[in-house]
Formats: sequence, C-alpha cells, structure tokens
Amino acid sequence: MIQRARSSHPLRFSRRNLLRGSLGMTALFPLLDAQRADGQNAAPTRLVVFTTPNGTRNSLFWPTGTETNFQLNKITTPLEAYKSKLTFLKGIRLNDSLQNGALGGTLGSEHARGTGGMLTARPLNSGSEFKSFGNTTSGWGSGQSIDQYLAEKLNPATPFKSLQLGVHVRDTEVRARIAYRASNQPIPPREDPKDVFKTVFAGATNATPGTPNPELERLWAQRKSVFDLTNGETNRVLGLVGREDREKLQAHLAAMREVESRLVGAPGSSASGGGSVCQPPTLTAVNLSVDDEYAQAGQLQMDLAAAALACDQTRILTFQWSYSESEHLFQFLGKSGNHHVISHDFSASGANFEAYNAIQTWYAEQLAYFLGKLDSYKEGSGSLLDNTLLLWATEIGESTQHDLTLMPYVLAGSANGKVAPGRLLDFSANRRDNNQLLVSIGQALGVADLNTFGDPSGAAGPLPGLVS
Amino acid sequence: MARTPLRRLTRFEYTNAVHDLLNVDASAAAELPADEITNSFDNNAAVLTVSALHAEKYVLVSEALAKLAAQDLSGLVGCDVAALGEETCARGFAAKLGRRAFRRATTPTDEQNLMSAYEAGRTGGSYGEGIEVMVRAALQSPDFLYRLETTSPADAGATQVPLSAYELATRLSFLIWSSGPDDALLDAAARGELSSKAQVAAKAREMLAHPRARAAIARFFEQWTGARRLDVTTKSATTFPDFSPALRDAMAAELPAFVEHVLWSGDGSLKALLTEPVAFVNAELASVYGVAAPPSSGAAPQLVSLRPEEARSGILTQAGFLSVQAHPDQTSPVLRGKFVRAMLLCQPPAPPPPDIDITLPDVTEAKTARARLAGHLAAGASCNGCHSLMDPIGLAFENFDAMGRYRQDEGGVALDVAGEITGATDPGLAGSFVGVRAMAEKLAASSQVRACLATQWFRFAAGRSEAEADECSLGTMRDSFASSNGNLLELIVATTQTDAFWFRSPITP
Repeated sequence: MIQRARSSHPLRFSRRNLLRGSLGMTALFPLLDAQRADGQNAAPTRLVVFTTPNGTRNSLFWPTGTETNFQLNKITTPLEAYKSKLTFLKGIRLNDSLQNGALGGTLGSEHARGTGGMLTARPLNSGSEFKSFGNTTSGWGSGQSIDQYLAEKLNPATPFKSLQLGVHVRDTEVRARIAYRASNQPIPPREDPKDVFKTVFAGATNATPGTPNPELERLWAQRKSVFDLTNGETNRVLGLVGREDREKLQAHLAAMREVESRLVGAPGSSASGGGSVCQPPTLTAVNLSVDDEYAQAGQLQMDLAAAALACDQTRILTFQWSYSESEHLFQFLGKSGNHHVISHDFSASGANFEAYNAIQTWYAEQLAYFLGKLDSYKEGSGSLLDNTLLLWATEIGESTQHDLTLMPYVLAGSANGKVAPGRLLDFSANRRDNNQLLVSIGQALGVADLNTFGDPSGAAGPLPGLVS
Repeated sequence: MARTPLRRLTRFEYTNAVHDLLNVDASAAAELPADEITNSFDNNAAVLTVSALHAEKYVLVSEALAKLAAQDLSGLVGCDVAALGEETCARGFAAKLGRRAFRRATTPTDEQNLMSAYEAGRTGGSYGEGIEVMVRAALQSPDFLYRLETTSPADAGATQVPLSAYELATRLSFLIWSSGPDDALLDAAARGELSSKAQVAAKAREMLAHPRARAAIARFFEQWTGARRLDVTTKSATTFPDFSPALRDAMAAELPAFVEHVLWSGDGSLKALLTEPVAFVNAELASVYGVAAPPSSGAAPQLVSLRPEEARSGILTQAGFLSVQAHPDQTSPVLRGKFVRAMLLCQPPAPPPPDIDITLPDVTEAKTARARLAGHLAAGASCNGCHSLMDPIGLAFENFDAMGRYRQDEGGVALDVAGEITGATDPGLAGSFVGVRAMAEKLAASSQVRACLATQWFRFAAGRSEAEADECSLGTMRDSFASSNGNLLELIVATTQTDAFWFRSPITP
C-alpha cells in the first residue's frame, strides 16, 4: 500500500526483516589488540558521559569519610563493588553564566540550563524557542560540548568520532540534548537498540576486513560519487545564501564529512587490529514506548555501548537516560507517580521520599551494570573500564531546590592511569566551576595543554589533584 | 522584512515529498531523527539543523527509498528503454526528477550531476541500479533537503525581495500539502499563473480541496494542541491500566478525523473546532467516551455524538488532548491552563523571578487537584502571580481525568469545575464559568482568541516566530479570519495574500 506520512505515528519497522538483513552481516569484530603500540599505552583512552535525570538528594548521595577512606551512602550502595574505581567530586558548581540571576543564567529553567551547560559550561542561547519549567525560555546551548571538542581535537581513527546513545529520551528539545557540535548544533541521541546495532555492528564497515566484498565495495563507490556531487552542490549553494544560512549549510557539510569515510569504507574507517575477537551483543526485542521496559532497553543500549567501545568503533560516547525533568514512570519498581513530581516531594518520610530514593538507587544499579560490563573487557593488564574516564552526571543538584551549586558528579575509571580513583575529592569549602571539570576531562583524554573550556565566567585550569 | 532562516524539510515534509515524488510508501523516513519542537511546532527553521546522525540517515534512508522506487522501474521512469535506449531514458528521467525534487527548472549542471550519479550506478551495475543511484543523489541534494530561495532577482538595495514563481509555488505547496509541488503546480508557476494574489488565492482553494491537504493541515492542529506528543505520552499502569498502545493510536487518529470533519464537512469555524460535541472513535475509544461502539466498518474512526451530560467540547475535551495535557498519574490543571493561556490567548505566563523559591507546601493529603493547587495560592505572590493565570482555567477541565474519561468526583470528593479567565486583553473573556464547554463558548467568541490563532498559524506557516515587521501580514490574516466569522480555511487562504508569503528578506552577505 502506498502511504503518505501518517500524522502521528512514524511507522515501526519490522524487527524480523531488519534482523534478517543485518544478522547476515553480523561480524566478528577484531578486538582492540591490547598490545598495539599506541605510545606507551596499550589501549586508547575513552570518554563516557553517563547521565541520569532529576538531580539527587545530597543527604543520601555523598559518601562520608576522608579522601581515601570513605563509605558509600544509600543511593550509591549498588556501586560498592566498584568503589575503588570511583572518584566522587564534591563541591562543583555550574559557573556564573548558568546560575540563577547571574549573567545569562535566567535563560531556561535550571533543568534546561543544567542540561545544555553540563558539557559546554556555557549559558543557553537566548530565544523564545524553548519553554520549560516556569516558562523561562531559551534557545539551544551556545557552544561546543567537551565530548565534541575532544572528538574534533583528537580525531580518533574510529568509524564513529563519537556516539550518542539514549534510553527513552523521547523529548526533542533543549532539556534533552547534552552534546553540541557547536552553538545551536545539538546532536540527538540514538534511542533504538536496533538502529545502534544495525549502524554500528552490521552497517557500512566491511564485516571481515581483508576479505573482498564486491557488492559492498560497489555500494561504497556509489556513495562516494553521491557524496562528491552533494558536497559540490552544497558548496555552490553556500555562495547564494546569507550569512546565517551559510552557517547552517556549513554545519551540514561538516556532518556529511563526519559520516562519509565510514559510509564509503575509507581506509582506516573500520576497526583495525587483530588478535582476539569481540562480538556485538545479542539483540532482543524491546518495546521502546513502554516505560516498564526501561531496564531492558537500557541494558541493550549499555551492552551495545560497551561493545562499541571495546571494538573501537568509537572512543567518545554519551549515554543519556530519559531527559531532564523526566516524567518517566517506575511502575516496575512498584512506584506510582512520575519521576519529576516525585523528585519535588519534600516530606522526609512519605511515599515519594522513598520512591525518589528507590529510583536514584535504581539508576546507580544501572551504572553498576555498565561499569561491570566495561570492566569485563580485559585490555592489557587492566580493563576497558580502567582505560576509560566515565562521568556520571545529572542536570541539577538537590532535586527539590533545582540547585546548581553542588552538582553530584562522580567519575569512574582511571583514564589509562591519568586519574587515581578510589577517592572522595571535596571542594565544598572552595567550590569549583564545572569548567574546571571539563578542562580536567580534556587533559585526562590527552589534551595536556587545555586550560580553559566554556564560558569565561567560570574559572580556568583543571580541578586540583584530579588528573596526574 | 523579517528573515526566515533556511528551512530544512521536517521528517513529515520529507516523507510526504518523497511519497509524492516517487509514488512509494515513504515510511522508511521514520528512521530520520525526530524534529525538534519549539513553541509547540516541529518546523521552526531556527532550530532545525543537520547533525551527523541526520547526515547518516539521509544517506541510508535515501538508499532504502530509491530501492523501493526502482522496483517499478517503468512506472518510475516512464520511458520505453527498448525503443529509446537506456541513456535517453535516463536523461529524460534526470530532467523530470530534478525539476520535481528541486522544485524549479533544472540547469544543465543539475542534469549532468544526476547523470553522473546514474553512471556511478550503471557502471558495473544495471540500468535500474543507475536510476536508483540517481534517485539517491536527488534525495541527498541540498536542493531537495532545504527549501532554497535563491533563484529570485538580485537583492541589491531591496528591503524585500519578490520570490520567483517556482519559489512561490513551493511555499504554497508546503503550506497546504506539507510536500513539494506536483507537476501541475510547477507547470502553473512556469506559465505565470501564480502572478497575482487572486490567482494564488484561487490556487490555494483548489489545493485545499485536494486530499493531500487533509493530513497536512491536521498537522497544525496536532501540534498546536500538543496531541502530536501522544507518541511519547505514557500513563501509570496502576492508575490507567486501559491506556494501551492501541488506545493511544485511536486517540491519535481522532484529531485529524475531527479536523477534517470541521474543515471539510462542517462550517470550518473555530467555534465548531472548540465546541462541537462529537467524537471520532473505534470501539476502544468509544468506551473512554462512554458511548456505544460504532458499527465496525474498516479502520477509519467513526463519527459519534457524545453524551450531553458530559458537556464535551470539540478538541478541548478529546481524550488525546486531555491525556497529553496531563501527568502520567493525575491531571494537570496547570498544563491545561497553560495551554489555553499560551496557545489560545497568546499570553504565555511571564518567567518567574530569578530568586523564586519553588518549594511547594506538602499537599499529599489533598484529595482534589483544586486542593493541591491551593498551595500555589498559599505560597503567595511568587507562585500565585503566574499560577492565577493558569490554574483557574485548568481547573475547569477537572471533569476529565488524565486520559480523558469523564468523572464527577476525585477521591470521593465531588469536583468543583468553576473557572475563570483573568488578565485577558479581550474584556469579553472576563468573568467566571463552570466547566470546559462554557469556557469554550467564551473563547470561540473572543477576538483575542481569533487573533491568537492567526498568530499560531503564522508561526506554523512561516516556520518562525512573528516579528514586528510581520504586523501588516498578521493584520491581513486576522482581518480575514474575523470577517469570515472565524473560518479556518479562510485563515489559511489569507496567509497567501500577505507580504510575508510573497517576499523574502534580502540576504546578509
């Protein structure tokens, strides 16, 4: 039947057909050779940003004790097994440009600012485009996010310069975007495990490097021709439009450049290395519109994320659970009410108090699962987790207050030895700006001379004592 | 004149344009990322960008669609290869495809580019593969993906630049069909039949009568009401176990059916849209409204009258709208009131003061929303300043629960659905009322609401927010809407009579 766009529901793909198509191409991916000469290090350093929505509850989140001898608090109990690989960063605030009443800080609600400013350390653009809690308005984020900065700066020889994965993100506005290629250029996450599987593991790259595949090679050549034609035409059109539109088309060209080498099978665009093999995870059916299947969808995405990192499909990855100000339901935990409403309950004994703690703990369990997954891939004398720097972040601090002055940030992994984990770094007495965290992340990932990142209202330099 | 940023096709427009261009089921376009929503609409040019994810999907989706189109090669190309030869047929198709896909007369370079793509497929492949690659190239071209307006006369010194006939045809087509122009419309443009405002108005009326207009115009109402967000609306399984995906689909199908009923079978008035007590249902949705299931006759939603005692009122009491403008587990008078305030009155509440304390009193003991929201009043001016603009409107909806079912009490407490609109600019809206229907009657008669709807439609039509320079164009639309007694089709036609539609701003070098 010939069908026009249905106005409400995009058509769902037949999973069976999709799998028939892609499993045929399922590859045994070459696992990163742990001994590959890559400077002194056996394996590359990866960056993961793992976000969960709706802040935290300080009294049950922060560990107690000293820098090196501390006890986990209630909400982070599920992370006990990885305690020695965690770094709690207490006392980081979003910079002045993101604070209430300061500079651009009233652009967008705290949820929106805390999302758009999380990895950019910049205020949102002014604009009437997005309205969020309290009807404050804003445009998109106003600068490049640290993950995209690193993807551009380090330009890793991986098929994906970066990957954005999400679980039930669903929302399509400023409170649902953390990665920005540049001001006004958000990158939406991939939310469908089938899509991730197909694109990352059964897509454009040659399934078995070294084995001729004439059909695929012809497709690549055709794509190359079309890319050339399209880029040529886009460049022609660039000369005919005004400045603002030119920026839009230049962003289009940059986006095409980013995907081109991967889609045309250019040398170096597929995972290289030899030795052992890594396999993509098994895909199971999941209904993405059912809140009760959150954990299942999340687990698939985490499995795919870990495999994408392990197979060196990408080294920079963001992983987003739901959207900021999330109204996700947690019936599957036996909780009624939605997460955002629950997050605003103030009673210290009511059902919502317990529900919020349970949800936050559940998110910590998901992180524990992911850390376990990363840790299960052995690389040299350590693990993929050891070679990763993972930031667990959320858009606000104390949820009832929409606080942006004490962000519940936790790092995991040691970035290939750049970070000594198992510590509680407490800057509470002398708050640090989130710019400094982003500088530290950049340094840990290998940009040693990075000194400032984001809005100049935030302090320069790294967080003291974090990156060696 | 105000600048309209370069408009990228939305996923909806892309899907329709490909369908109309290639005559294929274009649902593979659902793989494109969802468009960003601003001011309720997903076609605001300022925020529609192309990320690497878009770029990848443009490639992969075009491949899937070209493959589909090439399955009926002779139908697609319409050329006798045996008699004329592959090369001639391919050249003819390049010209035909290029004109439709790029919505303008093609240049020799365009045709050469498409033929290069053809060669890339034909070399080592078949004629069909060549055509397929040509189609991919057309679908990935910026001339297809963007609504370029670059062929009109030079800008030097102009304050506003008239569009070329093809560009005007393209605006008209996306305005009414959410798709590219068909051959007949391009022909009309080429023959100079879109030269006067009267000609364009006549063409607009003709196009509104075409079936393509139905889903496209419904799209505005789906976004304006927020009902489009049904896709991502979830309900608590304990509180609303009946809210199944199938029911959600039925709710989503109702709005376009109702809009079609009002605009094309009814009197086309805003009043009917806001007050008519009918619904379009299948058996599942009928149970939400407490009416008998319609006799089964296919998948299309059936027209039913609603129970008088529920005092249902057009789109404002549709189950889809009421479900979206609510929380997963309970109603939200704030969201419903905010909708009326922002989308019908065009008075979005002002931002809260920067030092606001958003701590709400603990009200978990309260049985009704009215009692819960009393916290806003109790919190004093910092909350109540804005919430007094939303809550008293939203509370009039309380007879309808978070999935649109009628109810007379909540938690055993009888519901009070008195409401009030304060602070409107139209004095006719002042005063209290009881229930949604009474409010809707007031809204439908209000000049402020008509003016607001014209503004909302303008945003959707222009793909941007209104600016001061648009006052004259908005005036034309408002006058026409008012003088037609709030006829929605006349509002659409009036759009085509404005400067904002006929001109573009000069480019900034």
